[in-house]
Amino acid sequence: MEARSLSAPAGLRRTRGAGDRAGDALLYGLTALAAAISLLVVAAIVWRVAAGAWPAIRVFHLGFLWHGEWNPVVDKFGARDLIVGTLVTSFGAVLIAGPVSIAIGLFLSELAPPSIRGLIGTLIEMLAAVPSVVVGLWGIYVLAPFDAQHLQPLLGRVFGWIPIFAHGGDQVESTVFSAIVVVAIMIVPITSSICRELFIGVPAELEEGAIGLGATRWEMVKTVIVPSVRGGIVAAVILGLGRALGEAIAVTQVIGNFIPLKLTIFAPGDTLASRIANQYQGAPSNLAVASLIYLALILLAITFITNFLAQRVVKRFERRSARA
Amino acid sequence: MERGDAIGLRATGRGRRRLVVNRIAELAAVLAAGAAIAVLAILVWSVLSRGAGALSWDFFTKGPALFGQTGGGVAPALVGSLLLVAIGAAIAVPAGVLTAIFVSEFAARRVGDQVRLWLDVLNGFPSIVIGIFVFALCVEVRLPLVGWGRHQSAFAGGFALAIIMLPLVARATMEILALVPNHLREGSYALGVSKWQTVLRVVLPTSFGGILTGTTLAIARAAGETAPLLFTCALAGQATDWNPTHSVSSIPMLIFQNSEAPDENLHQQAWALAFVLIAFILVSSLTARFLLERSRRRLGTAR
Amino acid sequence: MTKTLKITLAAAAAVLVAATAASAESNGTTTSNGTTITGAGSTFVAPLVSTWTPALGSAFGYSLQYSPVGSGAGIAAVTSRQVDFGASDAPLTPDQATACKSCVQIPWALSATTVAYNVPGAPVHLRLSGPVIAKIFLGQITNWNDPAIAALNRGAKMPSLKITPVYRSDGSGTTYNFTDYLSGVSSDWKNKVGNSTSVNFPAGIGAKGSSGVAGVVSRTSGAVTYVDVAYAIQNHIRFAAVRNNAGKFLYPSLRRIVAAASAFPKVPANNEMHIVNPSKANPLAYPISTYTYVIVPQQTSHAAELRKLIFWALTQGQKSQYTAKLLFAPLPKNVLAASEKTLKTIHP
Repeated sequence: MEARSLSAPAGLRRTRGAGDRAGDALLYGLTALAAAISLLVVAAIVWRVAAGAWPAIRVFHLGFLWHGEWNPVVDKFGARDLIVGTLVTSFGAVLIAGPVSIAIGLFLSELAPPSIRGLIGTLIEMLAAVPSVVVGLWGIYVLAPFDAQHLQPLLGRVFGWIPIFAHGGDQVESTVFSAIVVVAIMIVPITSSICRELFIGVPAELEEGAIGLGATRWEMVKTVIVPSVRGGIVAAVILGLGRALGEAIAVTQVIGNFIPLKLTIFAPGDTLASRIANQYQGAPSNLAVASLIYLALILLAITFITNFLAQRVVKRFERRSARA
Repeated sequence: MERGDAIGLRATGRGRRRLVVNRIAELAAVLAAGAAIAVLAILVWSVLSRGAGALSWDFFTKGPALFGQTGGGVAPALVGSLLLVAIGAAIAVPAGVLTAIFVSEFAARRVGDQVRLWLDVLNGFPSIVIGIFVFALCVEVRLPLVGWGRHQSAFAGGFALAIIMLPLVARATMEILALVPNHLREGSYALGVSKWQTVLRVVLPTSFGGILTGTTLAIARAAGETAPLLFTCALAGQATDWNPTHSVSSIPMLIFQNSEAPDENLHQQAWALAFVLIAFILVSSLTARFLLERSRRRLGTAR
Repeated sequence: MTKTLKITLAAAAAVLVAATAASAESNGTTTSNGTTITGAGSTFVAPLVSTWTPALGSAFGYSLQYSPVGSGAGIAAVTSRQVDFGASDAPLTPDQATACKSCVQIPWALSATTVAYNVPGAPVHLRLSGPVIAKIFLGQITNWNDPAIAALNRGAKMPSLKITPVYRSDGSGTTYNFTDYLSGVSSDWKNKVGNSTSVNFPAGIGAKGSSGVAGVVSRTSGAVTYVDVAYAIQNHIRFAAVRNNAGKFLYPSLRRIVAAASAFPKVPANNEMHIVNPSKANPLAYPISTYTYVIVPQQTSHAAELRKLIFWALTQGQKSQYTAKLLFAPLPKNVLAASEKTLKTIHP
């Protein structure tokens, strides 16, 4: 059928003339322009954000990064607690989501009966389709109360002697912990589907060889699958981290919007993205606006660094496995 | 076997313990998957059970009720989202497809890799930063077409969504273009057809399904994005507005605004709207996936 | 491929038809050839604007589109001329006035901020004083059974419940009003926190918008917040009886808001008025009352419509059918005169 469509297509002229050369050049020009614009957008975003933050950079310099006071009344701003909040929330989410995603990837590639593998995989990917604002809405009314009534007391009883799990006050719905759980739920689908692809990609002979030598399935996973896709797993986790860092809406709905941060995660907090989302529209002074854009610049830098690290890690693992 | 020695597989006598460890690991994997599905089920169930009461013909066709009154609907948000996503797609799809054509048909390997890299970088940008960028570009500065008169507008919001959609469309199109068998192209060139005609009349039609998939996935993602709209298209009134130079209401913004409304009526509408949004995104994603599978199969058999 | 194309086009057409149907129905309440006036800002005045909207539609054919995004955002929006008018409970700061380039602020409504709480077992109108409220929001009083609270409420048995202060996380005129009051009654507050639309609250959690804080308080036992009285009443949240300088514990009512306003008869040239914390010569005054302003550029293309609209709001709009249920008090005559005078300076 494809061959037939080739032999007699409507409108395909068969001789190359000047018009054709012009058409080729035009198409090349258009597509090159499109590609260039795509790259230009990246540069433009970085430049515009830096330009917008400049009034604040000029006033606060790099000290902005380690000063913690955010006081619009006296126009004194500092990002320290917001940076810490962002890192705590994101890394906390990855700590939960990473192992869970790997486990799910293994389940989908190894354990699930082939007949329902597709269905379950699709179901889990549908979780990725739920937008941030809906997860946040659900987080406020279903997850946060559940956290407050069941999870937090449980964790407090078992781990309460560790400072970061200490009791944070009677108000336990809008907390850093709620934000961590919400973000974890959001990054599990992406990370797990990448892990699943990775695990499926491991050659069957390697797996069968290990089983043939008498390994249990878990040992086979531990010694064959995971080492051969280690780089990919790390990349997947870092991808999830990148997503977690930039999460604004769901986080701002459940985190409590309060700084300075307490040591315990069962207390309210705030992150870079969440503060921008809350205060940008109504910032009372120009310096406040510029400081919020400065926060965006810091967020952008953290995202860049994370992406860059992911690339490096993938390259290093690729080199190592190529040598082996 | 060499590889086996390197990893250290050895059959030992402690079989029972190893089997127990194995069982635990398998259980953990099953639990993890079960937990993820349970969360999804609870989420969809919560949304549906809390919002179903507000779903009605009025809900879809009327504007919001006055303060304190019951009834009313979310029609302005539905129309506004449609407008925003349409503008976003109108910008992102041509740009993304053209970029993909460049990488797949014209560019050298290294150039293509660079483009792919920076598209990935763009994809990783937090959407709130993109919102600030478009605000600084279109709303603060007077730019023709995308934001005139220093207004927040559907154009500005749509442009922000387009930036988010672009990497998705480009990447999906690149994948499907790579799947188009080379013999189709070669046959066309062998017949003396020019490159641009080959691309337009042979390659693109063959990959239409994949491009549609990419567009659908991008639309599904853009429909739910709130952060880019916060500063570019947030000042919206109560009437349905088709004018793209105005700021319009939108589904995610309305959910965000009403998510904590103590007014029971508005609150229930937020849940119902959330359900509509999830339903739309799920249906789009499943459709996109189905289309992709079909494309892959057809291209596979054409080999 | 044509089949897919056909299906896609059919789906798009269906969506378009549905959307047109939706827009046709929802536009039914406003006249189709009227002028659209856009405004944004205070969530405090949003309920009142909402009741004014259909009346303005039938009186002048105006389609009033108002976005309750908070006073701070409203000021920003009108400064960049994204909307025809801004609404703010906080007067313009000197910097904002400069940035807005000859904008005027016109007081167009008068109401009060309540101290709303969710304490099971507490009286319907808990008695609180200014210093105690300041200490609560400073994080110095942390439990509802604190002796300072008990001293004001003899005979009431207060539960042992942690206090969670809830504040506005966005730029809010209600925050301005509340911190204005607290700065007057507590020098500790004045020094540590200050008075603005966006301040650094030392304790508690934040929520976005009047509906956000009202929602959090409804759901959280032991929570206390500051929110305009219309929201508190609408959502059945209890609010405190606050002690004024005459020693009386009062919760907001129309008479008490009017009493607070009449304690400050002078209207300055820029219409900026602070009516919090009236002196003890006003025993009936509720101490956390506030005017709310409409902010309009002096030169605007919609000058004629805005003048008509705002004049209507200042006169017809103050009638009890619109204002009484929401506890907005009618503007005093001297303020009305000043507002009308300022209104005349708006020109195309």
